[in-house]
Amino acid sequence: MIGFYAGKDLPSRARQQAVFGLFVLLALASALRHPHSAQFAYIGPGAGFAFLGSFLTLVAGFILSLLSFLLWPFRMAWRAVRRRKGFRHAHVRKIIFLGLDGLDARLTERLMAEGKLPNLAGLAAEGGYRRLRTTCPALSPVAWSTFATGVGPAKHNIFDFLDRSLKSYLPQLSSARVGKAERVLRIGRLRIPLSRPPIELRQKSQPFWKILGEQGIGSTILRVPITFPPEKFDGKLLSAMCTPDLKGTQGSFSQFTTRVAKATYENGSRYPLRPLAEGFAGEIEGPQDTFIEGHPVLRIPFRVIIDKGAFELRLQGTRCPLYPGEYTGWQRLSFRTAIGAKAAGMARFLLTETEPELSLYMSPINIDPERPALPISHPSYYAAYLANLLGTYATLGMAEDTWALNEGAIDEDAFLRQAYDIYAEREAMFLEALESTRRGVLACVFDTSDRIQHMFYRRLGTSDPHARTIEDMYCRMDELVGKVRPFVDRDAALFVLSDHGFCAFRRGVNINAWLRDNGYLHLHNGARESGSFFEGVDWSRTRAYALGLGGFYLNIRGREAQGIVARGQETEQIEREIIDKLGALRDNDGGAPIRAVYATRSLYHGPYLDQAPDFMVGYNEGYRASWDGAVGKVSAQVLEDNPKAWSGDHCVDPALVPGVLFSNRKFEASDSGNEPGIEDLAPTALQLFGLQPPAWMDGKPLLWDGPWDLPSK
Amino acid sequence: MGWTMGSTIKIKKDLWSKVKKVAAAGGYSSPDEFVEHVLEREVAKLDDAQSDEEIVRRLKGLGYLD
Repeated sequence: MIGFYAGKDLPSRARQQAVFGLFVLLALASALRHPHSAQFAYIGPGAGFAFLGSFLTLVAGFILSLLSFLLWPFRMAWRAVRRRKGFRHAHVRKIIFLGLDGLDARLTERLMAEGKLPNLAGLAAEGGYRRLRTTCPALSPVAWSTFATGVGPAKHNIFDFLDRSLKSYLPQLSSARVGKAERVLRIGRLRIPLSRPPIELRQKSQPFWKILGEQGIGSTILRVPITFPPEKFDGKLLSAMCTPDLKGTQGSFSQFTTRVAKATYENGSRYPLRPLAEGFAGEIEGPQDTFIEGHPVLRIPFRVIIDKGAFELRLQGTRCPLYPGEYTGWQRLSFRTAIGAKAAGMARFLLTETEPELSLYMSPINIDPERPALPISHPSYYAAYLANLLGTYATLGMAEDTWALNEGAIDEDAFLRQAYDIYAEREAMFLEALESTRRGVLACVFDTSDRIQHMFYRRLGTSDPHARTIEDMYCRMDELVGKVRPFVDRDAALFVLSDHGFCAFRRGVNINAWLRDNGYLHLHNGARESGSFFEGVDWSRTRAYALGLGGFYLNIRGREAQGIVARGQETEQIEREIIDKLGALRDNDGGAPIRAVYATRSLYHGPYLDQAPDFMVGYNEGYRASWDGAVGKVSAQVLEDNPKAWSGDHCVDPALVPGVLFSNRKFEASDSGNEPGIEDLAPTALQLFGLQPPAWMDGKPLLWDGPWDLPSK
Repeated sequence: MGWTMGSTIKIKKDLWSKVKKVAAAGGYSSPDEFVEHVLEREVAKLDDAQSDEEIVRRLKGLGYLD
């Protein structure tokens, strides 16, 4: 195949295979040599560390590895036979899904009409373009889960970024649970876990790539959201959204500074720099050492040396020049625990000011893909393989540091550079996969489009230097589409899609405050405001509460630990009341913040419906769940301004933020009046490979004009 | 589902055939998913919750939340 790489100094297929083979051998040898390596030691951020270093494990690991190595040729032969069978009824040889998170239909259409997106316009002319219906709520974890599984949220169990504990009402990440090791050996102050802590993907149903894999059709899945932890299937996968940093959080930046040390950030930490004769010294806070009682935080000291106006970072025996306004490359950080096991992370540094104060920004500590402390890929060595082949890369779920910009630790230009650096890493991965994928599925999601719109929406239509930043980003995404086209021949199907669109976020609605004002939520001692996470809420009198971005819950007796609303008549009555009253909410200017309130059971059917918010709120353009309300805080006012740089959002009525769907295949004429939904892509993938979509899928295959069979058949 | 070694349990044939029917009718993608869901719901009633601070700490940094 003539590829985009023609004439460029990039690895040939033979070299890739050699690197891959060598890498597997090295991984095997390394595992046998080091009792603390990934084969035998498990180091997980925050939640716990497990150490499986017994002699028995060593022997078993050796035997299994040896057997696996000896059987490799037979497994490959069997796989080849299966693959030949798998493609027997296929209408295409490969399908490429290029996900551009948050690419807005209206803006895309406008820019296409203005001639600014020639590659997308060309794709639309050659094949087809449709607006793509998103999920309710219009949130990435929900929508991409529907993309993967072909089912609605009530069947895949992801309704929001957050769900809640039915016992404590506290929020928890909806997509993954990281638990604690069940068996722990106590020796003095040491705590040695004897089993791995459970790490569980909460997304249910089955991704289409797993179904394809069972038929011998392999897939490469790169950074499709809600794939942490990775699950086994016939293919390769790199995890994405909700993969934690090394501290176990969703991304905590650090700022080291000579400024007032006690200032704090909401989502990052500020640390003091101590003056030295030759510069400054500081300490990096890493994950907790769960091998020791009390779980003290692991730290790494560093120095910033100043010599004749030049700055240098000295860290764990390495030296790295610091240039004001320029990010360093990824710097490896190795946190040594009480028993000698190491947790490997990496971060980038940016000198944000040097005179009169000195401040050094450090990105969240990403899990090092070459020595992952948590499983971030399938097979487990795939993350390291990519890093060896293409250079290391960001592994954090939401890697672009939006909070550092929100809180002023970095400026807009620095944020953009970081976002595009991450984009470049992703693009290299994607282009390499395009080069090496001859058959099967390749799906890759780029987050750049989402993050830049979140942070620069307020600049749209202004005279600010960043007024064109979003438009420029759309043009960059269009260029990416142009780079894909040479890999798409007549035997391939290409889909370029987004999970939702975008609009402004100017005002926040605190649903909890509205519930209080309307007698559905009560606080102790007649208070009007609560702390975060429902601190001060009187559950014995509270009938409804809000958490997360999509909707809110009834406090159901027998479901919530302190529930008081009876199922049946009482629930239905409250539902009707709330839908009518909340829909009538008005802002100071008379505008309606809410377009519609939906009873979730009227939207979706499926086994996990009971986990869902009982109501979904369809906000109007310009509005969203308020920052406070989303974390269970009852604020004084129902409506408040959004002062943050995070000024664009999509957590509104799904009808207002459709995504886009482009394909090189023509849409069937009879389908032109209907908007396809994001749930239709999974059954479409199955059908293109000649498989009947399973009955549990909610989506329907999209049909295309023209011949279905491969030209060669 | 999860990054843990799975265990196998035995279910009588006639019960299993009913499980398969109920799972399909309920919108599950497999009888295994159905069984897992039923068991999870029961186990959750007894499960030890993690510390509040730990749960909340893990959400730190999620761009959409303050």
